[in-house]
Amino acid sequence: MRFGPAEAPVVMIALPPFEEANRLRALAVTVARRLGEQGLGAAIPDLPGTGESMIDIAATRPADWQQAFAAASASIGENRLIASLRAGALFDGDDGAIGHWRLTPQDGAKLLRELIRTRIAGLREDGREASTATLTEAAMRDGIELSGHWLTPALFGDLEQAVPPPVHPLRTVRLGGDIQPADHLIEAAPLWRRAEPSNDLHLAQILADDIADWVKTCRAG
Amino acid sequence: MGLLPEGSQQVEDAVRAVLRDVLGISQDRVDAFAAETPLFGALPELDSMAVAGVLTELEDRLGIIIEDDEVDGEMLETFGALTRFAMAKALG
Repeated sequence: MRFGPAEAPVVMIALPPFEEANRLRALAVTVARRLGEQGLGAAIPDLPGTGESMIDIAATRPADWQQAFAAASASIGENRLIASLRAGALFDGDDGAIGHWRLTPQDGAKLLRELIRTRIAGLREDGREASTATLTEAAMRDGIELSGHWLTPALFGDLEQAVPPPVHPLRTVRLGGDIQPADHLIEAAPLWRRAEPSNDLHLAQILADDIADWVKTCRAG
Repeated sequence: MGLLPEGSQQVEDAVRAVLRDVLGISQDRVDAFAAETPLFGALPELDSMAVAGVLTELEDRLGIIIEDDEVDGEMLETFGALTRFAMAKALG
């Protein structure tokens, strides 16, 4: 999916894996359109195994996402900035980009923790007990289904270690209330926490404006 | 409640904000939550998936870690119980 004028710098938007991709897609598309209105191009690459297919993701590892994203980026040309959302930051490393922008970057261990926590809550609702320890053990031994996605032991293990790659220049944006380090805080609700996919046009505009400014800064620097 | 440690209001505000943001409830509605307002089992928005989101968001906003075995029906039963839990973790 590519938006905007043909000759303009392009913002590559990295969606997070799994369920949050669905929750943030509409927002990402709106951000892309707003960027287009500011004379910038935007693209939202589809990553292997992040669609509906359970078969695809069983064979996927973060390195595959990194490669797929890098390939999509390279095909865009030199004039590009990478904007990642949440755990999209895990595979947004791109030496050829003019800069990076991250919204609430999330590391792999935290991502897994959330998926496992959701699983435990679901099991408890069925009257079954589970713990992070037992589920992790099962995952590393046999693989595990979390939030409708099958994670092989390899994928699970990779994610446990995965952290966003060091990139520069980088601008990190978070939402108000988040106490982790950030270059900028935006007062908005975290769309990725809502059970149903939704959108936030106001937030999309704010994010697009921030990204566009950062593109200018990176080009000037 | 007796004398509350400093920071209690911020923690309570954070709990309201998390419920508002994760469950998609209006600010007016969360502002009306009192200590005895029932949560899990009473709020349709707070199902088990939403519980996971609430706990994780509380961790991020308050800089705390919530272990599996600390999560029981009691701490989610009312707004007061959840707030007391959050305060004990954040300020205790």
